[in-house]
Amino acid sequence: MKNHFAIRLLLLIAPLAALAETISTNASTWEKSVVNIEVARKSYDYYQPWNRRSERAAKTGVVVGERQILATAQGLSDQTLVRMQKNGRGKWATASVVWIDYHANLALLTTEDAAFWRDLRPADLTSKPPAEGAKLQIVRWREGKLENRQAEFTQYSVNESVGSAINHVQMELDSEIRDAGSGEPVITDSRVAGITASQLGRTCKVITASFIHSVVDAHKSVSPRVLGYFHFYWQPAENPASLAQLKLSGEPRGVLVINVPERLDGVDSVLKPRDIILNIDGFDLDMQGDYIDPEFGSLTLENLSTRGRWAGDDIKMKIWRDGKPLDVMYRLPGYDFKNSLVPIAVHDQMPDYLIVGGLVFQPLTTPYLQRWGSEWERTAPFRLNHYRSDEATKAKPSLVILSQVLPDKFNIGYQEYRSLVVSQVNGQTVNKLADLQAALKKPKDKFHIIDFVPNESLQRIVLAAGDTEREATQRILKRFGIADDEQITSKSAAGK
Amino acid sequence: MFLKTVFTCLAFLVAGTCLGIEPERSVIQILTYRQSPDWSAPWRFDVVQRAGGSGFVIRGKRIMTNAHVVSWARQIIVRKYQDAKPYAAKVEFVAHDCDLAILTVEDESFFDGLPALGFGDLPKVRSTVITYGYPAGGEEISYTRGVVSRIELSPYSHIGNRRLLTVQTDAAINPGNSGGPVVQDDRVVGVAFQGIKSLEGAGFFIPPQVIQRFLKDIEDKHYDGLPLAGAGIASLQNPAYRALLKLPDNNLGARVDRIRSKTHTKNVLRADDVILKIGEFAVASDATILFQSNRVFCAMGFQLGQSGDSVPVQLWRDGKLQDVTVTLEAAVDDQCEGNQFDVEPRYFVFGGLVFTQLSLDYLRDSGREGSEATAGELNYELFFRNREEPELAREEPVVLSSVLTDAVNANFITRGRVLVDRINGIRIEKVADVIRAFASSTNTHDMIEFGGRGSFETLDHAEAVRANTKILKTYGITQDRHL
Repeated sequence: MKNHFAIRLLLLIAPLAALAETISTNASTWEKSVVNIEVARKSYDYYQPWNRRSERAAKTGVVVGERQILATAQGLSDQTLVRMQKNGRGKWATASVVWIDYHANLALLTTEDAAFWRDLRPADLTSKPPAEGAKLQIVRWREGKLENRQAEFTQYSVNESVGSAINHVQMELDSEIRDAGSGEPVITDSRVAGITASQLGRTCKVITASFIHSVVDAHKSVSPRVLGYFHFYWQPAENPASLAQLKLSGEPRGVLVINVPERLDGVDSVLKPRDIILNIDGFDLDMQGDYIDPEFGSLTLENLSTRGRWAGDDIKMKIWRDGKPLDVMYRLPGYDFKNSLVPIAVHDQMPDYLIVGGLVFQPLTTPYLQRWGSEWERTAPFRLNHYRSDEATKAKPSLVILSQVLPDKFNIGYQEYRSLVVSQVNGQTVNKLADLQAALKKPKDKFHIIDFVPNESLQRIVLAAGDTEREATQRILKRFGIADDEQITSKSAAGK
Repeated sequence: MFLKTVFTCLAFLVAGTCLGIEPERSVIQILTYRQSPDWSAPWRFDVVQRAGGSGFVIRGKRIMTNAHVVSWARQIIVRKYQDAKPYAAKVEFVAHDCDLAILTVEDESFFDGLPALGFGDLPKVRSTVITYGYPAGGEEISYTRGVVSRIELSPYSHIGNRRLLTVQTDAAINPGNSGGPVVQDDRVVGVAFQGIKSLEGAGFFIPPQVIQRFLKDIEDKHYDGLPLAGAGIASLQNPAYRALLKLPDNNLGARVDRIRSKTHTKNVLRADDVILKIGEFAVASDATILFQSNRVFCAMGFQLGQSGDSVPVQLWRDGKLQDVTVTLEAAVDDQCEGNQFDVEPRYFVFGGLVFTQLSLDYLRDSGREGSEATAGELNYELFFRNREEPELAREEPVVLSSVLTDAVNANFITRGRVLVDRINGIRIEKVADVIRAFASSTNTHDMIEFGGRGSFETLDHAEAVRANTKILKTYGITQDRHL
């Protein structure tokens, strides 16, 4: 009887023990796969580009392979020291960046500290994207404990990558978690469905496992591939009158090409304004520009530029031109921050500048405009901001501005001028600091003549050239505590 | 010296005889009922609003006040000092560029017993002035005494894109004071007109020079407008720039930095000319002239005359002195860049598409709707295109302001707030071109191309013509156009 009771007791206990083990196993699985990342980085003051300060940022990483930690790229630029910590506490291991892809917002880290890898276990990336109703968790270390927050899947959408202009599918979640968006893994069915890229309110945007797979694989190859984008503008074909005008009969479908900017890679675009794109890479487009993705359902066509496609790939398009169907091969251009007249980001380099007689010249970049604070899109000078809507062209690849004047007797009369776009110096067109530097070597009769794009403030400045200028520059550098009169990353385009 | 003193005294006595010593009797209370248009729905007007201001009697049975007191007025009522009777008044002349207006009163008996106030000269800095008017907060006349603290060229906020001679005083100038006289020694030395929120306790008045120029301008019964130099003038204090221009280092001369493209000045002045004298005024290297003991921006030298007057200008060009004559010209091509008044916006409605002129008023009335990219494109078109790309600038840029929904346009993606580039291939320079482009269409469809990224929409022409009357009726638009 006693034994019998003992057996029954054991039977009752066993399932509880098994359940406890399961929970324990799950928790310990993620404890062994999720790590803290601490980044110390240089932060630059784009208004005084010779200044820098140190910043620290915290991120989350997930072990995805042998000595491989996956993280988002955001916050890793200009890093001076990256450290990783397992178990949410204890010793930090110095990490190194294996590769970083700012356009994909992904990076792979590692460390040579063998002890760090002990007990860590790679997590699997899911091959099946979560769908509506899927139970998801967002996991990260908080104060030494593993935080596991529930999240609810809301939709898949195509968005620009954080910190870049390339588009790819992202998963949107609703969660009570706060301050996420720093690479926290999103879990479903014991697998990683993605890592968070941003959070606004309760909405988290997540880089999907399939996109991660694709980027990681691309970086494994001997010559890593670059993400591409569609270098044309389109509008939905919802107005049947427009389709009738373009002689496309039947149900409204496809999208209308409205603008095809010049390509910087020298490839002639096969598209023209007023083309109707009916199909891209085998997928029919509806009149809103959406296609049915086999994995994610209805997505906008921009995703087809990154859905397993890379810069240089030829993508088949079916278009409607001049009242007839036409098949064309569209060579996908690679995205580079310099494709925009005003680059949206500058990574892993000091801000460029050139000081001449106290006049500070800089390339016009978005980080420079962001100096106007959190409302910079509204508060930065309108004209400078509006250049962001322009594409870079071969004739005008970038802009140089007079950002400020460090006052000195040499530049008296000019102290208040700033935010002026340089057009020419000594008669030579200036698009880059290297152009400016080259032009300054050819003064006009012992003078530098600096012309600005027409504006209501000032269109020309004249400075003395030669010894007086050099002495003034050195005097000003000393007075303002600036070590170098220039920081020019690339001089290759000078005079071209 | 003796003769001069006597003359001054006589003048004072004459003025005293003419005026008496009660300027307040000649200060008028003005009530207006105004209605301004909705620039984004240009056939529509906002609700009628009551506003108040001040004025004063001048020679010829007329009342002087500010333009902004009477702009967009549907009705103007004037009242005399301590007299309850309302009199109907109307605008005889208005000068929005210098914020002045002249009113007449239908019942001329209004002026019985009201002496006309005479004008004095520019008051001296640190001298005392008294402001008369009917500011908000009460019904009776108000007097405030203040000291003239600064005299310089400042923006006139009524029009928004002009800088004229302005006197700053610490006499309180509040809403309702506008148009009232600023008096010194029983003579009007200014018209109160604006304050600055960030400068508490400071008020601004329009000085006699601006007033007298306006009065002279309307002597021919027509207001031509304030003449401008037609050039952007910059200081010339850097030794290197002066040396390049072979100019003596004598602290004289300001540089012509840019020329307005649509003025006669471009035939006379050119960039890098150094202006040494404007009329009788020597121009200093900081681009100022000494005007009645006040250092003011040298553009003042061109603001004293009338449109069509000639102003002798001494230049330094190519290392030599040169005398030229600048013909003054009232600038009218930049009206859309400033606030506009009393002229209803031009528009045309076809197939529910509302086309109107791009203007500062339009941008303000249409608010911050639409994407930043669209708003940016319109801002660029209005304020920057004519400077940076004058060859591409339009006479009167036109926007598709809105789309009044109807079956004929229900599928439009573009719903407004966008620059109109072409219609049926015709480049749209002004609202009249829109009418011409639709009227001349021989195609079954009208194609409307927009600025910015180049989006476009298409309208079935026959359907649009058929729907037009119904759309106008549905939305209460009595006229499909105003040009």
